[in-house]
Amino acid sequence: MPPRRLAAALLCGLIAIATAASSRAEPVSAERSPESAKPPRIVSLNPSLTATLIALGAGAQLVGVDDYSARQQSAVRELPAVGGLFNPSLEAILALAPDLVVLVPSAQQRDLRARLAAFSVAVLELPNITLAELLTSIETLGARLGREAAARDRVQAIRNAWQATTAASARQPRVRSVLVLQREPLYLVGRGSFIDSMLVAAGAENLANVFADPYPQASLEWLIAAAPELILDASEDAAASREYWARWPSLPAVAAGRVEEIPASEVTLPGPYPERALALLAAAVHPALAAPPVAPLPPRSAAPPRPPPREVEP
Amino acid sequence: MKVLRARRVAGVLALFALGVLGSIVVGLAAGPSALSPGEVLSVLLAPDAQGAAADIVLRVRLPRVVLSLLVGASLSVAGVLFQALLRNPLADPFVLGVSGGAALGGIAVLSFGASVGLSHAAVPPAAFAGAVLTTLLLGVVSGSRGRASTTSLLLTGVVFNAFASAGIVFLASLAGQNEAAGVFLWLIGSLATVRAEITGWVALFLFAGLACALPLARSLNLLALGEEPAQQLGVDVVRVQRVLLVAASLMVGAAVSVAGLIGFVGLMIPHLLRLLIGPDHRLLVPASALAGAAFLLLCDTAARSLFGGRELPVGAITSLAGGPVFLWLLRRHQQRLFAP
Repeated sequence: MPPRRLAAALLCGLIAIATAASSRAEPVSAERSPESAKPPRIVSLNPSLTATLIALGAGAQLVGVDDYSARQQSAVRELPAVGGLFNPSLEAILALAPDLVVLVPSAQQRDLRARLAAFSVAVLELPNITLAELLTSIETLGARLGREAAARDRVQAIRNAWQATTAASARQPRVRSVLVLQREPLYLVGRGSFIDSMLVAAGAENLANVFADPYPQASLEWLIAAAPELILDASEDAAASREYWARWPSLPAVAAGRVEEIPASEVTLPGPYPERALALLAAAVHPALAAPPVAPLPPRSAAPPRPPPREVEP
Repeated sequence: MKVLRARRVAGVLALFALGVLGSIVVGLAAGPSALSPGEVLSVLLAPDAQGAAADIVLRVRLPRVVLSLLVGASLSVAGVLFQALLRNPLADPFVLGVSGGAALGGIAVLSFGASVGLSHAAVPPAAFAGAVLTTLLLGVVSGSRGRASTTSLLLTGVVFNAFASAGIVFLASLAGQNEAAGVFLWLIGSLATVRAEITGWVALFLFAGLACALPLARSLNLLALGEEPAQQLGVDVVRVQRVLLVAASLMVGAAVSVAGLIGFVGLMIPHLLRLLIGPDHRLLVPASALAGAAFLLLCDTAARSLFGGRELPVGAITSLAGGPVFLWLLRRHQQRLFAP
């Protein structure tokens, strides 16, 4: 075949394939247009948002989650996972035909937001660094999914727990503390994060709030010079925390035996039940205080009913 | 080449040793906490002192000073040896892929060690195991016919480094968020996670390497003429290459396994010294050990002091501080360097 004809034949072939592909794509986009009565199909790309959705009773609407959510929340373990926090797969998300994707702003996921928007998928971006942002994310999700009452109750319960804990700790001396997220290299809870707010409510003085970053890296020398009376160690290092910190006997916390191991999964996830973490921290900061009254919590691993398969949807 | 007189060697080395002493003083005196020089001195004079000042000076600053001296010297000497053995000015301690192997071993533990019950303390041994395995691999791949050609060594190193980077990216993308941050810091190189028990190993490999390199310094000078001329002048080229490649690889492996990939030191310090004191390896090898030690110590002191309680990875400082200085020197000495 002469080269020109070959090129023409190839071109025709390509056009045919492209046409077939675009005609195949047609029903998918038609299917995606949501009817107002139908509950939206949701993909969550962040474990704390996944937990919030489940807490608001919208777990059944989840059709896909990120890998981290799938590991953390037994309720969504069976759902399709669409990738990690940093590398969610656009194709895997689109294949689930979601009406709404919820995510937290981050360098990688911001780009994802624009790309999802190009496929006319609604994206809700909910920051969750500070306590105020955490409460707003619960309220926003509630409003979006028609579960305002549940969201209001949840936010009120959190505020009540905060007030009770703050009131109880107000009569106590502030305990000079640090909360360690990782030992080597040393990462702490700095200023402004919801964990910082929890420490303050629990009656601690967070020494690392001299760092403007919510989760700063700090040097060991700074920590020794800061002389904390209490070390809350939420690092997931395999070695025991008391043994590790005993290397620095000049630390007042070590001298007084006040190195407390804090389960990271309970405290560091900005989920819908921060009062659980708050009670834990309050007990660690002021063990003498009775645990503040906390409303009974629903079991964490309540399995939501599985969403119906796509084929049988009306 | 000028005749090297003992007086000149002693004079130059004494000058560099003074520089090392000065950098030790700076390294012990500076830090993010406000300790006065008097407090530092009183703690140093009473080594069994207790309290926060003693912890900071004796158990935070001093081990880091010692480790940065050892790592700086190891990288710098290894750079000199690789540049001489491979007769390539672009060679650095990481060129043969030993660092890539170490990084792969260390990062495997950083990424997934916690899930199998390994703490951070397992990173250096794993990294060193990676370095040793890579050295063996280099020997097998390029030395199979009894003699390692420099080209095949370099190519093996380049290919292995590419393989190791791909492996590192693969592991890091599978790891969680915290682990990925750790991997990132490790790749830039940092001395923040110093441990007294592994400092001894770095020292052992450094001094063993120096003990191998110093007696062979004259052979290295002759090797600069080319392998065949050196052979004709009585140098046992194969033996020199084998001994020094293994010695330098183990030095790099030990340094990288505790400090990560600290760039610049091993490439630029040897070039800088050639500009300043000439290319004679009898002087260049010990001088680069001293200069590399002092340079890395000053960079690490800056990394941990300049930003309050926060720390910068020292690898970023070495390149930021050293790059412009080197370019300036290169410009000043351009004619001498590129003269026929």
